[in-house]
Amino acid sequence: MSEPVIKIEGLRFSYGSKEVLRGVDLEVPAGSIFGFLGPNGSGKTTTIKVLLGLLKAGAGVCRIGGLDSQKDVMAVRRSVGYMAEDQQMFGWMRVEQIVRWVGSFYPGWDEKFVQELLDFLELPRKSRVKTLSKGQNSRLALLLALGHRPKVVILDDPTLGLDPIARKDFLRYVIGLLQSNQVTVFFSSHLLYEIEPVADYVAILKDGVIAKAGKTDELRQSVKKILLRGAGDIELGSIAGILDVAGIGERIALTIEDYSQAKQEAIEKASKCAIVDEVDLNLDEIFEAYIIGNRGQRVQV
Amino acid sequence: MEVLIIFIRIEPSSPVPIYRQIIDQIRYQIATGVLKEGDQVPSVRQLAGELAVNQNTILKVYNQLCAEKILKIERGSGTFVAAGKQNIPVAERKRIVAKLLREAAVQAIHLDVGLEQAKEQLEKEYEAIKLLKNKTGAR
Repeated sequence: MSEPVIKIEGLRFSYGSKEVLRGVDLEVPAGSIFGFLGPNGSGKTTTIKVLLGLLKAGAGVCRIGGLDSQKDVMAVRRSVGYMAEDQQMFGWMRVEQIVRWVGSFYPGWDEKFVQELLDFLELPRKSRVKTLSKGQNSRLALLLALGHRPKVVILDDPTLGLDPIARKDFLRYVIGLLQSNQVTVFFSSHLLYEIEPVADYVAILKDGVIAKAGKTDELRQSVKKILLRGAGDIELGSIAGILDVAGIGERIALTIEDYSQAKQEAIEKASKCAIVDEVDLNLDEIFEAYIIGNRGQRVQV
Repeated sequence: MEVLIIFIRIEPSSPVPIYRQIIDQIRYQIATGVLKEGDQVPSVRQLAGELAVNQNTILKVYNQLCAEKILKIERGSGTFVAAGKQNIPVAERKRIVAKLLREAAVQAIHLDVGLEQAKEQLEKEYEAIKLLKNKTGAR
């Protein structure tokens, strides 16, 4: 694999005495669509702000497009496209005015491309920003993030507040506009089912650290729910990668990562129970297991 | 030549991976004759845009269907429905069907549907799809 476009190592950040990021490590391959997931308040936006140099890291290194986020702040802003969460734009401006205004900050602003984008994203040039629909609003924010033709684009929860149709439309533009042009997209969301169809890779942020990162389809293959039949006090001791344990009647449901033949045998041996079923999970269930799973090693049935 | 629009539904809450869902639906449409040998399918980019699905996912779908000789890529002109199943060895074809039938058998046992009833049901489904194919074949 070539050099990752975004590389975060050991990133820490605190708001006052509250440590929000507790050693985040992340690599985003060039040209990929990367889904950055986590529940509300897990530190997604904070990570993005440090990555853009808008917040100062407590410790660790962030590199984006070969630049140091903390040292080359201006260069980062010029080379990266950024769409903030719930981006505020001046409502009294007309679409064409705000486009010109934002463009004036960027030396590399591509006016011809922007005109094409206005048509492609079906944005009314003469309308005032405050009269736009939510969907148009997010498309305008996307356009403003793309006008200087960045090779890396960071979208912070871009579909927040959009209805399902506008959301799908937005994702369509991400694929058609960005993936088609080999732009790397770093995309945060708290909706896994939304990320899955579009993301090559996903990372799950939980309590300020990355709980899991990998290729989207591999994540899906590696996590399984298995049902064991047994009774009594069951000790799962040394089994690694248990995400969730639940007793259901005389059965134990175990959600487990990196599931394999070897692990299957180890589980049967440790628990002295027979595996009666093996179930595939959808990504939402996998996400849930990582976020709120009960990681106990003992279960009473 | 006219490029067909393929109707594909993605079920986000399904435990079946998205690429698998698309493969299954294209296979089904070829089996029922909605897609015929020689029909041109959309490009990777078009289908990705239409479904709002990552282009690499569609690429994976097309690559696998090409490896199975269900689709074929003709350089410069596009991707087409190939002759398909005839090119897969009999043993392999049987293996694919057996795998699916195993799932059906498991369900039948779970739901207490007898072997005879299950066979009957399979026959019905088989005939229904063949009928559908004959109908669409006459278009």
